[in-house]
Amino acid sequence: MRMRLALPNTRQTVFIGWIALLSLLALLGVGTAIWVFKEGLVVTNLSNQVPWGLWITVDLSSIALSGGAFFLSALVYIAGIERFKPAARLAVFAGMLGYGAALCTLLIDIGRPDRFYHPLVFWNVHSMLWEVSMCIVLYFSVLTLEVFPLVTTHPFFDRLPRVRALAERIHKAAPMLAFLGLGFSMLHQSSLGATYGVVIARPIWFRPTMPLLFIVSAIAAGPALTITLALVVGWLRGRAIVPRDVLFEIARIAGLVLLVYLYMRFWDAMAGNYGYVPLRSEATAVLTKGSMALSFWSWEIVLGTVIPAVLLLWAAFTKREAELFIGSSMAVIGLIANRWHTTIVGLTTPLTTNPALTYPLIPSYTPAWTEWAVAIGIIGGVLLVFTLGVRYLPAFNPQSDSH
Amino acid sequence: MTAKTTLLSRREFVKLATQVGVSAAVVGAFVQIRGALTKAKAGSHGPVSDAYHWVMVIDLGRCTGCNYCTYACKATNDTAPGITWNAVFNDRQSFAKEVYLARPCMHCEHAPCVEVCPVGATYHRADGLVAMDYDLCIGCRYCQIACPYGARYFNWEDNNQPNPMAPEWGKPEIERRPRGVVEKCTFCTHRIDAGLENGLRPGIDEDATPACVNICPVKARQFGDLNDPDSKVSKLLAERESIQLREDLGTHPRVYYMLPERGEDQTCA
Repeated sequence: MRMRLALPNTRQTVFIGWIALLSLLALLGVGTAIWVFKEGLVVTNLSNQVPWGLWITVDLSSIALSGGAFFLSALVYIAGIERFKPAARLAVFAGMLGYGAALCTLLIDIGRPDRFYHPLVFWNVHSMLWEVSMCIVLYFSVLTLEVFPLVTTHPFFDRLPRVRALAERIHKAAPMLAFLGLGFSMLHQSSLGATYGVVIARPIWFRPTMPLLFIVSAIAAGPALTITLALVVGWLRGRAIVPRDVLFEIARIAGLVLLVYLYMRFWDAMAGNYGYVPLRSEATAVLTKGSMALSFWSWEIVLGTVIPAVLLLWAAFTKREAELFIGSSMAVIGLIANRWHTTIVGLTTPLTTNPALTYPLIPSYTPAWTEWAVAIGIIGGVLLVFTLGVRYLPAFNPQSDSH
Repeated sequence: MTAKTTLLSRREFVKLATQVGVSAAVVGAFVQIRGALTKAKAGSHGPVSDAYHWVMVIDLGRCTGCNYCTYACKATNDTAPGITWNAVFNDRQSFAKEVYLARPCMHCEHAPCVEVCPVGATYHRADGLVAMDYDLCIGCRYCQIACPYGARYFNWEDNNQPNPMAPEWGKPEIERRPRGVVEKCTFCTHRIDAGLENGLRPGIDEDATPACVNICPVKARQFGDLNDPDSKVSKLLAERESIQLREDLGTHPRVYYMLPERGEDQTCA
C-alpha cells in the first residue's frame, strides 16, 4: 500500500513544498487570528461605516462555492444520477472544508467569539442571520456525517472495525443526508442573500431578487469549483479523480445555470433601476461607471459570468479540458467578485438623502494586513486539509482502494 | 394479526420506538438546556410599564450646534472615544439657512436593528424603547448595517481611558460596555426607570430626563409622554409642524424634528 502511494521524486519534492507552503500560510492565519483575539477588531480596517468587509466576503464565497456539495448530492441521491457519485464525493469533501472555513472566519469576525454559541441558544427567529447561523451549523454537521465514511476508508481504521461499522451505517443514510443537505442549503444559501435583501436602509440591497440571485449563483459556481478541483487533482496525479465525461456533463449544467443567473441578473438590473431610485441609482452608478466599474465589468460580469457560461457550454461540446478549466475557474472568481462588490457597494453608499446630511460621508474600505493574513491563512488551511485528504484517503484513490 | 399483514415486525417496532424515543429525549434535553441558559443569561428586563409613550422633540430652528448634548451624553453614558450616541450634524441643503441636526437613537416602533439581531440582544422594552442586552450581543454588527440612521456604534477596542467629558459635563451613570459589543443611545432609560420608581416625571424632573435634554442651553430638546395630552411634547407636536427622519421607510421613529419657522424670530416658539 505504502509503495503504491509513493510518488516519483521530483513530484514528491513539489508535493512536500506545497504542503509546507500551505502549512506556513495556515500558521500565519492562526497567529494573526490570535493577535486579533487579543487586540480586538481595532486592528482591522473595519469601521462603524463599513462594519463588514473581506471576512464576510470569505464567508459568503466559501459557502456559495460549497454549493456543489448539496447540488451534486441531490443529483446523485435524489435525482438518481449515479454516475455523478465521484464528483459529489469530491464536492462534499470540499464543501465540508468550505463550511469549516466559513465558521472559522465568522468566529474571528464577531466581536465576542466567546459567545459563538449564542445563536443556538438565544433565538430571534425574525433574523436572517439567526437562520443562516442555525443552518450553517446543522449543514456542517450533515457534511461531517457525509465525509465521515470517506475518512474511515483510510487504512488507519483497519484496527477500528466498530468505527468502520458506524461509518457503514451512516453511509447507508446517504440519501437521507442528501435530502437534509438540500433542505438546509435551499434555506441558507438564499437567506444569505436575504441577509442583504431585507435591509431597507440600503436600497442597492433591498430587493426581493437577492436571495434568488445568491442561490442560483451558488448552484452555478459551486459545481464549477468541483470541476476546477477535479481537473487540477487529475492533472497532478496523471489520472482522473472524476471521469472526464462526468465533468463535461456537470459543465453543461453549470453553464446553463450561469446563463439563467445572467438572465435573472439582467432583468433585476433593468427593472430595478428604471428611472431614478434614490441611493440605489447612485450605488448602481458606482458599480457600472464609478470607482468599482472596472472591477465590476471585468471580474464579475464579463470574465466572471459571461465568458465562463460560454466556455463551460463550449467545453461540454468540444470536450476540451482547457476551456473547461478556464471556464470553471473564472466562474469561481466571478462569484467571489460578486460577493465582494455586493458587500462593499452597499456599505459605501450614503444612508440617506433626506434630509441631505453631510453624514454619512462615503467611506472607503481597504482590508488591513490582519484581514488579509487571516483570510489567506484560512484558505491555506482549507487547501492543506483538502490536499492531504485527496492524497491519502483511499476514497479519492480508487486504484489503491481495497474494494 | 399475523406477522405477514403487519407493516413492522415487533422487533422493528421496538427499534423504531427506541429511536424515536431517544431523538425526542435529545431534543427535549436541548430545549431544557436552552430554557435554563436563556433564563440565566437574558434574565428579566425589569419592571417597565407600557403605559408611557416616550418621545423626544428636537427644534431644528432653535438648535445652535453647540454640541453640549453630545458632551453631556458622552459624560453621562461614559462612551468610549469615537462613540457618539448623540451626534450633531450640520445640514446646509435642506433649508434656506443652515440647520444643525442632532441624531440620537430614533427608538423606532418598527426597528430594523431589533428585527435583524440574530440573538435578540436588541429588543423592544414594554414601553417601546429599543434597548440592548450587552450580555447577549455577539458583536456581529448586523444591526449597524441595518440601522437607517447610523445610530449604532461598535466597541472596536477596550476603553480604559478616563472619560475626557467627565466631570465637566456630567458624572458617568452607567457601566462601561465591554469590547466587542454594539451600543447606542438609550434615551437614558436608567434615569427614566429610576425616576418613575421615585415618583418623578420624565421630561419635567431633571433626574428622570435624558442628559441631552437637560443640558440644552436653548431648550431645543423636549422629552415626555405622548400618551399624556398635557405633556410638553404632546402640545408641541399638536401645535407645530414636525418631521421624522426617513418616514418613507416605515420605521416610525420616536424622535420628532420641529422645522425652522420661516421668517420668525428663532428665540421664541
